[in-house]
Amino acid sequence: MKKTHIIGIIVIAVALGVILSTISSSSTYATFSEAQANPGATYHIVGKVNKTIPFEYNPEVNANIFGFHLVDNNGTEVNVVYNGAMPQDFERSEQIVVIGKMNEGSFHCKQILMKCPSKYNGNDADRKAASGA
Amino acid sequence: MEINYIGEELFWGKAGNFLLILAFTSALLSVVCYLFSTFAKSDTEISSWKKLARSSFYIHGISVLAVVALIFFLIHQHRFEYYYVWQHSSTILPLKYMWACFWEGQEGSFLLWTFWHAVLAFIIIRSAGKWEMPVLSIIMLVQVFLCSMVLGLQLGDVKIGSNPFILLRNHPDFASLPFIHMPDYLSKIKDGRGLNPLLQNYWMVIHPPTLFLGFASTVVPFAFGMAGLMKKNAREWIRPALPWTFFSIMILGTGILMGGAWAYEALSFGGFWAWDPVENASLVPWLTLVAAAHVMLINIKNGKALLSSFLLITFTFVLVLYSTFLTRSGILGDTSVHAFTDLGMTGQLLIYMLFFIVLAVWLIIKNYKIIKGNNEEEHLLSREFWMFIGALVLVISAVQIIFTTSLPVVNKLFDSNLAPPAEAISFYNSWQVPIASIIALLMAVGQFFKYRQTAPRDIYIKLLPSIILSLAAAICIHLVFDFARWQYVMLLFCAIFAFAANADYFIRIIKGKTSHSGASIAHMGIAFIMLGALISNAEQIVISRNNLNVDLGKDFPNQENILLYKGDTLPMGEYYIKYSGKEKEGVNIFYNIDYFKADHKSGKFNKEFTLKPIVQINERMGNVSEPATKRFLSRDIYTHITYANLENLDEHEKDNDYSEFKMHDVAVGDTLTASNALIVVEALNKNVDKKALLLNDNDIAVGVQLKVIDVNKSSKYVEPIFIIKGQTTYTKEAELELLGLRFSFNNILPESGKIQIGLSEKKNNSREFIIMKAIIFPQINILWTGCLLMIIGTWITIIKRRAQLKTVKS
Repeated sequence: MKKTHIIGIIVIAVALGVILSTISSSSTYATFSEAQANPGATYHIVGKVNKTIPFEYNPEVNANIFGFHLVDNNGTEVNVVYNGAMPQDFERSEQIVVIGKMNEGSFHCKQILMKCPSKYNGNDADRKAASGA
Repeated sequence: MEINYIGEELFWGKAGNFLLILAFTSALLSVVCYLFSTFAKSDTEISSWKKLARSSFYIHGISVLAVVALIFFLIHQHRFEYYYVWQHSSTILPLKYMWACFWEGQEGSFLLWTFWHAVLAFIIIRSAGKWEMPVLSIIMLVQVFLCSMVLGLQLGDVKIGSNPFILLRNHPDFASLPFIHMPDYLSKIKDGRGLNPLLQNYWMVIHPPTLFLGFASTVVPFAFGMAGLMKKNAREWIRPALPWTFFSIMILGTGILMGGAWAYEALSFGGFWAWDPVENASLVPWLTLVAAAHVMLINIKNGKALLSSFLLITFTFVLVLYSTFLTRSGILGDTSVHAFTDLGMTGQLLIYMLFFIVLAVWLIIKNYKIIKGNNEEEHLLSREFWMFIGALVLVISAVQIIFTTSLPVVNKLFDSNLAPPAEAISFYNSWQVPIASIIALLMAVGQFFKYRQTAPRDIYIKLLPSIILSLAAAICIHLVFDFARWQYVMLLFCAIFAFAANADYFIRIIKGKTSHSGASIAHMGIAFIMLGALISNAEQIVISRNNLNVDLGKDFPNQENILLYKGDTLPMGEYYIKYSGKEKEGVNIFYNIDYFKADHKSGKFNKEFTLKPIVQINERMGNVSEPATKRFLSRDIYTHITYANLENLDEHEKDNDYSEFKMHDVAVGDTLTASNALIVVEALNKNVDKKALLLNDNDIAVGVQLKVIDVNKSSKYVEPIFIIKGQTTYTKEAELELLGLRFSFNNILPESGKIQIGLSEKKNNSREFIIMKAIIFPQINILWTGCLLMIIGTWITIIKRRAQLKTVKS
């Protein structure tokens, strides 16, 4: 067997390894009910924050626990506990992604991804400002 | 009915549109002429086509330049009737950021890219000799596609490109608003939307042009390669393309590192690299470009690796387009913090990309016979063999990054529902740390192999000193830092070895001769970048540990934020920190964090420095936190605000800022408490200066001396006064602004021998606090030194390769 062939086989093997490892360690976008069914696994859950229920954040007691209610795309509402400071401007967020797992009825999340509605592009507020209204 | 709008200057827009169309058509014409000139048979035909092609190119270049100048002019003149100007600039913007306005939007960044292509093409016309015709055919073809991105033509239902000269009143966002159709609408538009405050930063002025020059310059090696295939000259293009390839490596590398420096300095990513999709998208073409340069070097030496050269320059060029596609199509959606939104150009970008993929593949297949060359195997102990392996490893690294980044694309293609790995950073690191170790090893040994074949004994002997030295150094450093994973220790050794071996090669073998030192210096730079990244990342320490916390178990270990009341001093790491107040300047609120060190002998706190992290009130992106960093030679202390209450920002200017006075009946010697101080009633003062209060001698005025002790045990005195003037009684209040306290003296109660004191506090006294995070990044300066070395080394290589090109020519 030639060296080139050996190298070729190694490269293909590593490339396959890359793809398989990415797929196996990627999590899936899911809903709370799926996360509930499988409490040990980490999920990405897309949902909207329920702003009618007050957020639980008492930085004087513990700056690293922040709780809120999130409604997923199926309409299930779950209490989410985030281990960290309440993100700046959280009250203005609309759709967010939380990453974490279910634990005894509440969702423990490690990371919150927020997208601001107006990011980089014009929105209604801008137009109102421009019209001088 | 035609409305006569007041105050518009439509001439500029018409001129701009004309110039855009001119730029597009002249580019197209130039491609055609250059192609004819490339394939013409007779000398007269060649030169006449070439003349025509060059003239078209000059028209194109001048049009592009004029468009760019025109947009700057409109921004500078605040012509808000143009949507692009309104969207990206405002009247209050300082001149230096006007540049940034230009490339904040997609249209501007495409124009910047087009502009760089035109500049590069101009230099190639001047220097490429016989390669001008085929190379320019390809570059101008790329220009045609790029120009189409800003044309903004509506052909039936298809919109081609997004036009930077569209009028505000014609833009879909505005066209439906009634006020926009009043003749005097322009007078109602007081100001533009302005540049996103987050981007008002000097990095935004230098980073995008550098990065786009890097992107733009990848077209040159690609065009040379395609030119070689067009001229059925499979190898000769490599020599003239090589300096350009290194140029591209240098500029793109600088651009990427500037992005990292920007993220580190001004964005609260918590580091200089976060494996964000946008960062990855620019890194991946750089990796394949470096691989391309190395296989091209192999080809110059022994004529092999030709197919790889073609493939890698094509990958690089296509990956640049792909990264543009990723960041501009909106496909990244939830996975990236700074992707652009879709401007409806996704289809166009895909056509652009597919066109060049098909072109390259077709040319390569058609000329496969001349590319294939001989099949002789490289010797295992030859330099070219290991360079080739290095290139392959770089490609694997690129594949891993781009595949993971492309998960949203995979989802779209296969209708799957994969989310990025939950621990994205550690997932990337688990692949890239071992890959970096292998690259470092190859960088270390590579130059000690000779081309074709080396005697094994030579290599051992020459490498032995570096191996021993770096093993010792790695052990020492590991003893200091105690790395948590063996992979890190591995990379530590490999990176030091790469540095030591290249330094050794530089000193002992090429004896410090600058002209030959490019590779050694650049490799030393990369080794330093690896080393700096490793130590500063793996050994970063979050010093803002919050000790009050309830333990949530090991799933939630990151108690990384600290709560700091205004005026309080808390221990943090080796420092004591105090939040001493905030200042508002424009959209930025600066929080003053004082860092103290305790002097154990005197028991005093000595102020070492003050950091001023920022919270920016950003209407467009929400409020953004910008870190502040104290730099030392051996480490950086990085601080950013994770949470601050922004509700009462302006209240200190208002009177109702204070709570109602609360009355206390006290006697001399009594103590009162406020939320931030202790108040001791010291004595009554009957000798108040009545004249100063405009009182008569028969009026009564009594003061009470209050001693106010704040949390730092420093005391201040205030004296509110009780006044009886005729039938009325009133008080002259006293205020301690620093602590936000007000005092009144309202009555004397002779029966109980007490007096009545009123106390009022600033409403936010009790709530004013911030939550912050502080991280120590050790040895991050090694990383920046490495960047500098990498740039210098690459520059030396460019010079050397250009000089060689000249000697070959003559």
